[in-house]
Amino acid sequence: MIQPSLIPNVDPNPLPAPYWVFELLLLVTFVLHIFAVNFVMGGGVLALTAKLGFRKQEKGGRIFFDVAKLLPILLPAAITLGVAPLLFVQVLYGQFFYTSTIVMAWPWLLVLACLVVAYYGFYYVSYRGKRHPGKAGIVMLVSVALIVLIGFVFSNNLTLSQTPSRWGAKYFADPTGWNLNLSDPTLIPRYLHFFTAAVAFGGLLLVLIALSKWERDREYARHVFQFGGKAFLYATMAQFLVGIWFLFSLPLDLRTLFLGGSLLATLLLAIGLAAAIGAMFVMARALRQEKIRLGAYAAPGLVALTILCMATMRDVLRDAYLVRLFNPQQLAVRTQWSVFPLFLVIFVAGVALWFVMLKRYGIFAGAKVPH
Amino acid sequence: MNFPVWDVTFGAGLLIALVAILHVFVSHFAVGGGLFLVLTERRARRSGDQPLLGWLKFHTKFFVLVTVVFGAVSGVGIWFTIGLINPTATSNLIHAFVWGWGIEWVFFFIEITAALLYLYGWDKLDPKLHEWYGWIYFGAAYASLVIINGIITFMLTPGAWVTNHRFWSGFFNPTYFPSLATRTLICLALAGVYALITASVQKDRALRARIVRWSAWWIVPSLALMPAAIWWYILRVPADLWTSARGAIPVATHAVMLGGILFLVLLALAVFALLQPRRMHLAFALVVAIVALGAMGSFEFVREGIRKPYTIANYLYDNSVYAKAMPRDGGFNVDQIDQQGVLNTAKWIDVRKLDPADQVAVGHEIFRVECQSCHTTNAYRGLKKLITFRHWDQNEIQLMLGRLNLMHNGVMPPFSGTDDERAALAAYLSTVAPVVPSQAAGPLDGHAVFVRNCAVCHRVRPQDPLFLYLPKDPQTAVDALKSLPMLFPLMPDLKLSEEERIALVDWVNTQRGVAGAGAGGAKGGAQ
Repeated sequence: MIQPSLIPNVDPNPLPAPYWVFELLLLVTFVLHIFAVNFVMGGGVLALTAKLGFRKQEKGGRIFFDVAKLLPILLPAAITLGVAPLLFVQVLYGQFFYTSTIVMAWPWLLVLACLVVAYYGFYYVSYRGKRHPGKAGIVMLVSVALIVLIGFVFSNNLTLSQTPSRWGAKYFADPTGWNLNLSDPTLIPRYLHFFTAAVAFGGLLLVLIALSKWERDREYARHVFQFGGKAFLYATMAQFLVGIWFLFSLPLDLRTLFLGGSLLATLLLAIGLAAAIGAMFVMARALRQEKIRLGAYAAPGLVALTILCMATMRDVLRDAYLVRLFNPQQLAVRTQWSVFPLFLVIFVAGVALWFVMLKRYGIFAGAKVPH
Repeated sequence: MNFPVWDVTFGAGLLIALVAILHVFVSHFAVGGGLFLVLTERRARRSGDQPLLGWLKFHTKFFVLVTVVFGAVSGVGIWFTIGLINPTATSNLIHAFVWGWGIEWVFFFIEITAALLYLYGWDKLDPKLHEWYGWIYFGAAYASLVIINGIITFMLTPGAWVTNHRFWSGFFNPTYFPSLATRTLICLALAGVYALITASVQKDRALRARIVRWSAWWIVPSLALMPAAIWWYILRVPADLWTSARGAIPVATHAVMLGGILFLVLLALAVFALLQPRRMHLAFALVVAIVALGAMGSFEFVREGIRKPYTIANYLYDNSVYAKAMPRDGGFNVDQIDQQGVLNTAKWIDVRKLDPADQVAVGHEIFRVECQSCHTTNAYRGLKKLITFRHWDQNEIQLMLGRLNLMHNGVMPPFSGTDDERAALAAYLSTVAPVVPSQAAGPLDGHAVFVRNCAVCHRVRPQDPLFLYLPKDPQTAVDALKSLPMLFPLMPDLKLSEEERIALVDWVNTQRGVAGAGAGGAKGGAQ
């Protein structure tokens, strides 16, 4: 008898729209999600760094609270923006995604417990922190540590979901779901790749905070700009080492895709790298010449391009991992014309309403960040 | 069978229930509470009631901390949990309703943004603009209920979708509107219930009384209208499913009773709050909230309970086996598994060959892929307790497994697999609950024979086939019981000894007079 493969069959329902619609939605919403996640994680890490690093100076505490008051807004943004890619990844890759989550069920489920605790922690620091600065530091440390941990669990799940050969041994050894994917050589560099990007984003968040204070409190803003800009520079420099480590941890056939094997993959890597190097030069110049607008607009713009390339590479890599097992382009399609256009209309109207809501609040009019 | 089964030691069903009930208790507040905020704000501004506005600001913070944080994360939590425990059903719901989920996500995004801007805008915005955010919040929150309600009700009454697989057939299914009405009333009532909590900690007595009275006006009329909405709901639930809640599944029956009692207690407490608003205390408000949580939990428990044996009625069984063969089902349907066997069909199984020496180990694997999504051996829905209660030996277990789908009025999926696999499962289950010799000495108890052999399918009531068709003449009845399949072809071929048959017939005849009184039925069906 032939051993049936462990990879589950695809869902019997056909895709309710062509494959590329979901792939595009998955990519776009993931990019937005990872932006918000990076701001939360990196912002939190740098807030703690400021508090510890400038312990004897008032501005350390000030940076800490300026970031802290944004976290209760950035975290729900990360969560709500995360729901969409969670939906679309299940549509396209459900058989891989569900299986790896089941293999590591408890860590996966506990992500949500960690998230609730971290979330309330951020609110505590934002609402009560100034009255109890000592306690606020500890609460922030716990919350940020939990967010960092959540990212690690996600990396475990995503690497496990694209390496089905690892599932069986783990599951049959422990079907109660107490597994991770620690033996995967790509896990640590992959996770560090995300973590380092988050720290760089934390730097950008500080540059944006500096911009909002540039006219009113130049001295403090200048300090925040220098701190954030340098954090961005150092993290991005480190990212080159981490990125190379990640690239060389990949199996040879996958690695070569990015090194000339595939035109698309190689091009994406080249553009992503060029944009990142460009962002570093722009930021270094902005810091030297104290041009806050250069640091707050041009550098994040280039970084956004890098992230877009990297997220697309992430999709290319996933499809390359699964190429012998599954091709989502071959999924049966029966477009639900009775509801798909309705989604598009509501989606566009929703985005428009969202901008109107922010505009009427005055967020675009100046630096009126809600608090 | 298509996916691995997560072994949740204390019971997968219990885990889903925990996450889901806590979530719905908050998410319905998130909808009703939105309307409460904006209407209360309007009321306070029109009457120039500054203290009320002050409280409302505080209540908004409470509202955001409860709904935007716990509500949103636990909502994702349900999704994570059902994906882990029933990935096949989750995948079907995702694929059949992707655009529904997508639309719901847009509303969710608007909802969260509006909630934060409403909270942060209290001191910054012009009152009219602030109320505008409140209305947008409520509109988006209610719209997300309008969407999710279609998918939740679909599972209980998928209607024509089962044959045509069309989005709107599944969405506007038979229970869609009664469920929406019921849940709307729950939302409104919970808005008042939660408001009592923040009201009760106000020091200004007059203010507290004003808020309590206003909040109670959200609870009492909603509760008063709810029986009508629930009655409409029940009318639209297929009769055979509702029969389960009325007695065939004890858990659902108990949940109906508990829900009813808690509902009445909640109504009484709310009326008391309305009449005696000055006597509101935090402890009282928390009791009201806990009672409401219990009532709501019972409601959801019944809804889930009567759906058994299906996750998606008439389409997918709770153990992720499709009811009928269909294109692209991967062979995971009852007929195919009966023919091919579990060992040849299930993907996530460690043993592929049925060696008599390994019968118990193979049985354990079959248990894992076919039973464990609902049952445990010794915890929630534990089989040890059930088998011990009935005193079944291996042979009886095997016979009973052959008629699973008749048990308790049809709340179990059929056993899918070959006869040898059923024997292996029985061998494993008999090791879980080794048979204890029950009749040591003394005369046989007819009721015990009934409980052991008959009560999983039959109940003590006049219209039950056992009481309708078993001959009244004792000797004829004792003879007829020699071969159960001869009595009725679907009966398992249990071999009762002569003493057992005599005792059973004696007992049945003594019950004929009292059958329908319910005492014996409750006892017999207790497991």
